[in-house]
Amino acid sequence: MRFLKAWRDSDAFNLVLVVPAVGYLLAFSAFPLIYNVVMSFQQVDMFDVGTLIRPLRGFGNYVDVFARSEAGTVLWNTVLFVVMSIVFQLSIGFALALFFQLDFPGAKWLRGLFLAGWVMPALVVGAIWRWIFAGDFGVLNYALRSLHLIGGPVFWTSDPSIALWSIIIANVWLGIPFNMILLSVGLAGIPDDVYEAAALDGAGMIERFRSITLPLMAPTLGAVISLGVIFTLQQFDLVAALTQGGPAGASNIAQYWSWQMSFETYEISDGAVVATLMMTVVAAVALIYVRAIRHEQRA
Amino acid sequence: MKMLAFKLGLGVIVAVVSIHNASADPVTLQVWAQDEISHYTQVLTRDFEAKNPDIRIDLKLINFADVENDAIRAAATNTAPDVSQIDNPQVATFASHNLLLDLGPFVANSKVIHREDFYPGPLTNATWQDRLYAIPRGANTIALFYNADMFRAAGLNPDAPPKTWDELYTVARKLTDPAAHRYGLAYSAVATEEGTFQFLPFAQTAGGDFDHLDNPGTVRALEFWQKLLDEKIVSNDVLVWGQVDLMASFRAQNVAMAISGPWELPTLDREAKFDWRVAMLPVEKEGSPRASALGEHAYGVFKSSKHPQEAFRLLEYFISQQGRNWNEFGILPSVKTVTTVNPKWPAAYAIFAEEVQYAHARGPSPMWPQISKPIQVAIQTALTHRADAKTALAEAQRHVDQVLKK
Amino acid sequence: MKRYLFLVVALLLAALYLFPLYWMYATALRPGGDLFRYPPEIWPSHPHFEITRVFLTYAVGRYVWNSLVVASGTTLITMVLGTGAAYVLARSRHPMVSVTLFVILVLQVLPPSLMVTPIFVAFNQLGLLEWPRLAVVLATSAKTLPFYIILCRATFAQVPGELEQAALVDGNSRVGAFFHIMLPLARNGILVVSTLVFLQSFGEYVYSRSLIASTDLQTATVGLSTFLGANAQDWAGLMTYASIYVTPILVIFILLQRHIVSGLTAGALK
Repeated sequence: MRFLKAWRDSDAFNLVLVVPAVGYLLAFSAFPLIYNVVMSFQQVDMFDVGTLIRPLRGFGNYVDVFARSEAGTVLWNTVLFVVMSIVFQLSIGFALALFFQLDFPGAKWLRGLFLAGWVMPALVVGAIWRWIFAGDFGVLNYALRSLHLIGGPVFWTSDPSIALWSIIIANVWLGIPFNMILLSVGLAGIPDDVYEAAALDGAGMIERFRSITLPLMAPTLGAVISLGVIFTLQQFDLVAALTQGGPAGASNIAQYWSWQMSFETYEISDGAVVATLMMTVVAAVALIYVRAIRHEQRA
Repeated sequence: MKMLAFKLGLGVIVAVVSIHNASADPVTLQVWAQDEISHYTQVLTRDFEAKNPDIRIDLKLINFADVENDAIRAAATNTAPDVSQIDNPQVATFASHNLLLDLGPFVANSKVIHREDFYPGPLTNATWQDRLYAIPRGANTIALFYNADMFRAAGLNPDAPPKTWDELYTVARKLTDPAAHRYGLAYSAVATEEGTFQFLPFAQTAGGDFDHLDNPGTVRALEFWQKLLDEKIVSNDVLVWGQVDLMASFRAQNVAMAISGPWELPTLDREAKFDWRVAMLPVEKEGSPRASALGEHAYGVFKSSKHPQEAFRLLEYFISQQGRNWNEFGILPSVKTVTTVNPKWPAAYAIFAEEVQYAHARGPSPMWPQISKPIQVAIQTALTHRADAKTALAEAQRHVDQVLKK
Repeated sequence: MKRYLFLVVALLLAALYLFPLYWMYATALRPGGDLFRYPPEIWPSHPHFEITRVFLTYAVGRYVWNSLVVASGTTLITMVLGTGAAYVLARSRHPMVSVTLFVILVLQVLPPSLMVTPIFVAFNQLGLLEWPRLAVVLATSAKTLPFYIILCRATFAQVPGELEQAALVDGNSRVGAFFHIMLPLARNGILVVSTLVFLQSFGEYVYSRSLIASTDLQTATVGLSTFLGANAQDWAGLMTYASIYVTPILVIFILLQRHIVSGLTAGALK
């Protein structure tokens, strides 16, 4: 009995909880990733996806990908897409979470409506944003024209200098519920008496936000941001629905580019190269997150 | 053993099953298709099932963008369906990888399908290295749809649609009315196969082609598209519009003329409340060769199929129903021996039936997607003025040459 | 007075945000061509109900049932495997924690459209494609599990360590402390994240389309895509279909979230 208790209290209990989850992930996610990395070094024909044994090409595929004329644009677009999406999703989501913390009739109920973005099927979301952004009959242009903010139509998805921003706008819309609802949970977890004590000390609203809300929200913020980066790197449906990466590649981003190479032109190795490079980016984000957590635990 | 005798008459099939073991379990055929629900494949497979109790069809509808990928993956892992609908330029891809059954021997013994009955275009696309790997279910092509009411309102003669690029330009310009939110013309310059499909006829009438992209004719064609876009006769959104999108704008009367195919006719008939008509695709100059694009799909039987006989019976059934192609589905027949009785929209039928004779097959090349992509990029690059037409097409030619050399 | 001003602002924000949702309903009610007119018709003037047609032509019920099966299975696997792991990763100071978190994050990098080929190949080899809905559940869980662990970890990390210490001092075992103290305190976060997992897996498309061969077992998202053919797109039908299954889910979760987000944690701490 005592032995059992000792066992339960030791690291073994931790292992029992962690190992199945990690084992599951390794079993189901590690293989596809390794498969991708392997393909990025091989010469792959679309009809031998069923095997792993294929002629080796080493870093040749990597050289090919970087030699493509569109590589620079895609890289820059991806950075812009991820950074802008995160900045706006997070700030709008946080602002809304704080706003709905206020005490007014229907606050809790209205907050729930913002889940809509998360519930609507991707196919529907893509089609609707496509119509909203349509240059000639789109509602957005109609609204802006009625308010006399624009003279002629803006071609949201077919003007090369704007197309990427349209995808970002739609993606921010999609990401708001996730950010808002999780940050709301985090905010609800901060005990009121902490604020009350600070108010007694004479701290103003901004001071309270800076010295209490932000530090206490750190774990949630870290989690939301790092997952936000990953989600943004997985955003695929919107590009397919709005611009197909065009016009002339002006709104192409890494994940869509990778898909185009793998499934449109069947240059599967090159598609795998981009996927592998994306993995290294996420690895870097994960590293930052993990370091931040160590910091948080020490604090 | 089952023996079937088919009798063709007005597209009605009479099947006489001479020896048929009623107690045997029906054979199930896996069929993949990219039609929408209630369209060709679904309707005809249901009819087929009703007439052939010994065969069940398990039909899976897959998006146009995905069906070929799914089929390739399935073939590579031995989970391919028995029959799949394949867009005609892709048949070569599957055939060259030895995934499709050579249908030649089946056709040789068939009383329904005869190789010589097919129009040359669809047959070219279904053939790879002289062997027949798929049965084209029909043919389609593109032509110029126009709104005759708008012609009249603009003082144009609706009985004299534009015949040359110059006329097309002049008429489209006259029909353009920014105050009424109306464009004169719409073509599809989207960065998918549809963009290539719509552009090539313009190149071909001017003497260019997919393997002659740096040819002056191809350059002139792209410059013509460019001029229409620059002068706002065509909406900038054609860069993201597929053919279905531009026809939606045509039906909503935001666009006076639009280039698309006969598959639009059923919807147009149902929704458009104006006098719409169809004309031949304009040629470059008077006397230039006519050119159009050849579309439509074929059905292939995978080599891995355990029921090739039954699968072929399904394809025979499709061909036996060619008489229904036009009126029910807006598809032109792929065989010469079938005449559509009392075609709906007779004027449009006459135009498309003539236009399809000038339709060029894309490829055939197992590398077609890699040829098509640089063309799409060149179109979009020139239309957005990131490069002039000549430079953009020269770049595309370089890519296509690399692919063709492989 | 100020409270009502806030309410007005909130209503405006919600109206702005929900416009795409409204557009889904509006498109469902408009005859096909009206969508492309200018000026756009904000309020459908000739509402046109497609519900009967959609119900008759499409197996809405069967598709939605399959989606529910997939979403419930995924949520269950994710919660069972993820909750304990999230707790340990929030509490333990073991050096392996960082490594584990790192691995978990990196493992979910690729979008399903790029993961699906290797998953298909592997599942086919393992014979998992014989149970297509299970295959989708397994593949989707691998997608949602990292998400769940990272977010629940944050929830557990927010629970003050003193409470757990106190429980241990009171003679609880670690197991007891986990079940009786930590789980109830983190309940909000767990439920919210599980909700998100459920909704996400309900909308899963790529794996369902690829791993499920039989139409009878297909999910609602795949059913939705059959409205779009190569040459015709039935938007009114598609949006009607989407409205039929989105509306009940949305209502349920709006009602649920009121209870799960509101300050239960804060209350329990006092």
